[in-house]
Amino acid sequence: MSATTLKRAAEGRTPRCLPLRSLLKQVDRLSFLTLVAGFAAMVLLVSVQVFMRYALSSSIDSAAELSRLFFVWTIFLALPHGICRGVHVGIDALVCKFPEKLQHWCWRLTTALSLVLMLALSWLAWGAIQDKWQELMPTLDVTAAVYYIPVLICALHSVLHLLLQLLEDTPPEQPEVQ
Amino acid sequence: MTYTILITFIVLALLRMPLAFALGLSSLVGLLVGDMSLAIMPQRMMHAIDNFPLMAIPLFMLAGELMVAAGILQRLVDFSNSLIGRVHGGLAHVAIVAGMVLAAVSGAAAASASALGSTLVPSMRKQYDSGYSCAVIASAANLGAIIPPSNAMIVYALMAGSTVSVGGLFMAGVVPGLILTVGFMALASFIAWRRGYPRSEHDLNLRQILGQTVRALPILLMPVVVVGGIVAGAFTATEGAAIAVVYALVMGFGVTRELKLSDLPKAMFHAAITAAMVGALIAFASTLTFAFTIDLVPMRLSGWIQSLTTDPTMFILLVMGILLLVGMFIESNAAYIMLVPLLAPVALAYGIDPLLFGFLFVFNLVIGMMTPPVGVLLFVMCGVSGIRLQTLVQSAWPFILFQYVMLALCVIFPDIVLALPHALGY
Repeated sequence: MSATTLKRAAEGRTPRCLPLRSLLKQVDRLSFLTLVAGFAAMVLLVSVQVFMRYALSSSIDSAAELSRLFFVWTIFLALPHGICRGVHVGIDALVCKFPEKLQHWCWRLTTALSLVLMLALSWLAWGAIQDKWQELMPTLDVTAAVYYIPVLICALHSVLHLLLQLLEDTPPEQPEVQ
Repeated sequence: MTYTILITFIVLALLRMPLAFALGLSSLVGLLVGDMSLAIMPQRMMHAIDNFPLMAIPLFMLAGELMVAAGILQRLVDFSNSLIGRVHGGLAHVAIVAGMVLAAVSGAAAASASALGSTLVPSMRKQYDSGYSCAVIASAANLGAIIPPSNAMIVYALMAGSTVSVGGLFMAGVVPGLILTVGFMALASFIAWRRGYPRSEHDLNLRQILGQTVRALPILLMPVVVVGGIVAGAFTATEGAAIAVVYALVMGFGVTRELKLSDLPKAMFHAAITAAMVGALIAFASTLTFAFTIDLVPMRLSGWIQSLTTDPTMFILLVMGILLLVGMFIESNAAYIMLVPLLAPVALAYGIDPLLFGFLFVFNLVIGMMTPPVGVLLFVMCGVSGIRLQTLVQSAWPFILFQYVMLALCVIFPDIVLALPHALGY
């Protein structure tokens, strides 16, 4: 992070952002736990299915559908975590030639537009949940809307992260090299 | 509608909006301009992700994360070290052999680069300059996307639809991957000899080779079980990836005993976030692909390219030229997602073997991961070692050039790519 960005980060963490920050901390934690549980369930289901097929010559009817459902939840829940870690790739070949102030304005503009996209997606996902509520999943007696709920959660969670970044006026940190 | 989408996307992408969101917003604008229902967007996004083969990506990533956390890398390095005798740039050879074996375990080039870099760069720097050390490791890591299993090939196969199988693409990468490994070793040796780097200190010792092979055997068996199972049709790529995760857990808890229960949530979270980056691109691009299909873009593009040339080889050269440029500026996953649905059907119309086209496509973009200005592997190596990008590029260019020569050879002699998958019935 540049000195200017660090200064902005320090200035940005004003008391008005604290409630949002603490709310996000709780949401992040809950999302992390759900995501890890979903991922573990996905691994377990797929591997148990292979074991049952070869060792017991039988299979779980809903294994493929359930594992896909866990996968959809895992991916959409992980997406907002990528926003605050800056892992979503972009092209900076042009912007990096701009003066630092203009670069920051570009970041503000694209972050605001991303926020608009996520708000629109929340609204559209909510519509899809209402549409699908009466439908059932093919192999389970559960509403098909469960596939669209993570899209709504993802969009709302992303809105919170993008809003916090805009309020604090601080771009996400670059991904850590592990 | 198509022009509105393209212009919006290009403007947003050039302003450094994350590509996934730029794809999403430009699709939304396109749907509005085309007077189509916006409800298409969440439906397309969900259907794009609700895909069993796509699950292989986070699972292979998790397997790689767990293997590294389980401490397999040191065993791989020791095994590779035992295979390398008194040669110039011995440690560079160790890095390349370890990279090849790690490639057969993890399937992701960037993950291999950070794992190999953090393990080997400190000792390599004692004998060689930093640029050479990092260039060798970046090249070795690049094998991760060529030697099966390869996440890049899974993404390609998904975006190409039913025209190409993941198993076939995996097999297409084996021979070029092995040739690249041998070529990298020869190149590393030649550069080391020219620069007067010291030879390795130990001779080949059969007892040591056997000892290290036995110690590394559980790791070496993993690709045999996983890739062998996929190719033999015993299980799908996704099931193979889940087996790889279970195998890594058994290795970490039972064999190396270095994996801790507390490592698991972090590994899953990290794999999920990386997969979500690819997932976000696929999800948002699905609406864009839908809008393009409604506007008959693939058909129009196919007609336009066929009006330029009717020769399949010229078409391949044209695509390779485009990908060479694209690979320099765009992250490879984004390039697969945007270009494969457009170009793969055109290649079929030219009568080009889908496995050959798929492999050349993937290989070209994999080389792009090492070419400036947007070379992910270069960034990872700079991050791991702290060297300047310019220094790394100066040392990496012979390895990049060699990969382009190999790409050209695969175009001229397609049997390098196709002989093995065809022999196995793909």
